[in-house]
Amino acid sequence: MGDEFPKEYDVIVVGTGMTESILAAAASRVGKRVLHLDSNEYYGGLWASFNFEGLQQWVGDCQKPKDETECKADPQLADGESAIKMRVLNPPTATNVKEQWHVPEAVESSGDDAKKAWSQEEVKKLYRKFNIDLAPKLLYSRGALVELLISSNIARYTEFRNVTRVVTWHEGKLTPVPCSRADVFATQNITVVEKRMLMNLLQECTEYEGNPEKLKKHENQSFLDFLKDKQLTDNLIHYVLYAIAMSTEETPCIEGMSRTQKFLLSLGRYGNTPFLWPMYGSGEIPQAFCRLCAVFGGLYHLKRGAEALIVGSDNTLKAIHSDRENLKSNYLVMGLDYAPDSFLPEESPGISRGVFLIDSSILAADKEHLTLLEFPPDESSGPVTIVEVGSLTNACPQGLYMVHMTTKQKGSAEEDLMSVAKKLMNFPGETDESKPNLVWSMFFNMKDTSTCDLGANTPTNLFLTSGPDLDLDFDFAIKQAKEIFSKMYPEDEFLPRAPDPEEIILDDDDEDKQKQPEEKASEEPQE
Amino acid sequence: MDDYKFLFKVVLVGNAGVGKTCLVRRFTQGLFPPGQGATIGVDFMIKTVELENEKVKLQIWDTAGQERFRSITQSYYRSAHALILVYDISSQPTFDCLQDWLREIEEYASNKVLRVLVGNKTDREDREIPTSVGEDFANRHNMYFVETSAKEAENVERLFMVIASELMEQARSKELPRYETPALSSRSTSVGDGGCCGGRFS
Repeated sequence: MGDEFPKEYDVIVVGTGMTESILAAAASRVGKRVLHLDSNEYYGGLWASFNFEGLQQWVGDCQKPKDETECKADPQLADGESAIKMRVLNPPTATNVKEQWHVPEAVESSGDDAKKAWSQEEVKKLYRKFNIDLAPKLLYSRGALVELLISSNIARYTEFRNVTRVVTWHEGKLTPVPCSRADVFATQNITVVEKRMLMNLLQECTEYEGNPEKLKKHENQSFLDFLKDKQLTDNLIHYVLYAIAMSTEETPCIEGMSRTQKFLLSLGRYGNTPFLWPMYGSGEIPQAFCRLCAVFGGLYHLKRGAEALIVGSDNTLKAIHSDRENLKSNYLVMGLDYAPDSFLPEESPGISRGVFLIDSSILAADKEHLTLLEFPPDESSGPVTIVEVGSLTNACPQGLYMVHMTTKQKGSAEEDLMSVAKKLMNFPGETDESKPNLVWSMFFNMKDTSTCDLGANTPTNLFLTSGPDLDLDFDFAIKQAKEIFSKMYPEDEFLPRAPDPEEIILDDDDEDKQKQPEEKASEEPQE
Repeated sequence: MDDYKFLFKVVLVGNAGVGKTCLVRRFTQGLFPPGQGATIGVDFMIKTVELENEKVKLQIWDTAGQERFRSITQSYYRSAHALILVYDISSQPTFDCLQDWLREIEEYASNKVLRVLVGNKTDREDREIPTSVGEDFANRHNMYFVETSAKEAENVERLFMVIASELMEQARSKELPRYETPALSSRSTSVGDGGCCGGRFS
C-alpha cells in the first residue's frame, strides 16, 4: 500500500517543536508538499510533555555524554554539491539535569485519616497519569495563540482549563491577587480606598495608548516610579508590579503599562483570570498543528531524521539524506535541537527549570486550583514564574500537585531555584504544616535562542527555529513561524481557516472538493 | 439547527489500507470511494443517528495518514469515547500489528474508552484470519468484535449503531469518561473551570 516514499517536497521540516509544527501546518494548509520528520519516537522535541516513564528515558538521554559521531551517510552528490554530515545522536536537550526522590521507595499503608504518605513505588505505578512539560506555557485568553487557534480552526484539537487564581509572595507569605473587578471588590486584603485607587490605575493602563501626551511624561520613568507617583500603597504597588504586570523594579513605565494592559484585556473572556492552560500539557499544542498538517496531506514520520544535508555551491540546500535516500526540498525548517554546531550562535542565554511533585497545594484551598505565581526577585534569585497544576489538567494523579518553575539562567537550575523552592515546600526533615511536602524534584537547564540571530550561519533556504523562550506564553514561537513563513511564501495566507467537516463536499468521483466557507469569520462577541 | 441529545467522539486506528476511511464514508455517506486517494482536508465526519427516540451525534475521526509510519499524535486519542481498531481479514500483517496498536491505545486513551475490534473486507475471497481468531483476540482484550465489509455495506451500520447505543447507555449510567472541557471558540465563555465571567475592568 503506497510504499513508494515521495522524493521531492516543497518543505521538509525536521523536528516537531512548536515553531516547526506551526510552519508545517501553515505550509501544508496552503497546498505545499510537506514532509515532517522527528528522530524521536515522540512529538514535541524541546516542547514535549512526558508521562513519568517517558520522562525517565528523557533524563537518561540527557545524561549521556555528548556524542559527536557523524552519521555514516554516503549520499550521491551532483557537481558543486557538498554534504554536511549530521550527528548520530542529537546533543542532550538539557544540561545540569538533576532528578531526586524525597520519599521512601515504599511505605506501609498507614491509618486512613492520616494524610496520604506517598512512596516512589506508588508514583511509578501511576506513571500514565502524568503529563510533565519540558516547556510549560500559558495562553493569554486574548493572546496570539488563542486567536490563531480560533481563526485557523485548530482549536478543535485542543482543550484548556482556566488558571483559577493568580497569587503573589508578599511579606513572607502567599496571597491571592485580585484580578477581576469582582475579585477587587471581594478581597479583604486591601481597603476600600485602595480598591478605588487600584480601579483607577488599571483603567488608566487599559487606555494609555490613546493618551500620547500623558504618555510622554512617563517616557523615561520606571513603572515602579510611575506607581509611586500615583501614591499607591505598598500593598497595591506589589500587586500591580509583580503579579499583574509581571515586571521588576527596573521595568520601564511604558512596558509595564503595556504588560498590565495585556493582562487586563484577556480578563473575563473564559474565566476570572486572563490565562488558559492546555489540558494534558503544553506538549499537546505542537501536536494540534501537526494534525492539521497531516489532514491537509503532510507526511509524518517519527523515529526518522536526516543523516546529511546536501548543499549546493550557491549556499542553498538541495536535499536531505535520510534513511539512505536523497529527499529534495525547496526549503528546510530545522529545530534547534538538530542543528549542526556550525549553524549555531556561539553564545546563547539559558533557562533554568524546576519541576516539583508535592502532596498538597502550595496554598491550600477548598478546591483544586490552577495557580500562577510570579515570584518577585530578591537578593538570591531573579523573578521566577511558577505554575501549579493538579489532576484536573491530567498533569498528575489525584492527591498530587505539580509545580513548574522557570527563570533566567544564572548558575545551574538548582542554584537558581532552590531558595524559592525552600520557601514554598517542605524538604525532607522539615515539618511546617502550612506547606506541602516534596515528593520528587527535577532541575535542568535549556538554551534560550530567542534573542539570537539563527540565520547567520545557515544556507539561505534553511531556517532554524528556536526552542522554548522565557516568556509565559507561546507568542514568540508564533512570531518566529510567521516571519519564516512570509520569507518562504510571501504571497500566501498564514493559516487560513480550515473548513468544518460539514462544509466539505466529497464527490463520488476521485477528486475531493472543498466548498469555501461563506462569510463565516468568527466575530468577537461584543462585551 | 444543531439538535441532539448526545455527542460522542469515535476514533479509528489500525494499519494503513485496512479500510478505515471506507468504513467512515460508507456509514456517513452511504458510499464506497472507488479510488483510494488521500482525503485532503477531511478531519472527521459527522452523522446523527436516532436511537430510542433520542438524537445521537457521532463525530468519527480518521487518522489523517499518520498511521502509515506509526506517527499518530497522542492528542488524537484524547477525549475519545470509543475506539475502533481495524484490521484486514485478508492480511495477516494487519492483524499482527493489533498488539502494537493496543499498547499505544493503553498509553494515551482513557482506560474507560469503549473498544471495538473490527475485521474488515469480508467481501475478499482470500481470507487469512478466521473469524474465530479475531473473536478470540477481542475476548482476551475485553473488546467488542464485528466483521464488516465497507464495500458491500455489511455490518457497517450495525457497528456504529452498537457503539452509539452502548455509549448512550454508559452516558445514562454515568460510566462514560467525562471530559468537562469544551473546546475554545470565539463565542464560548465556558472553558473548564468557568467560575464567574465578565468581571472585566471597564
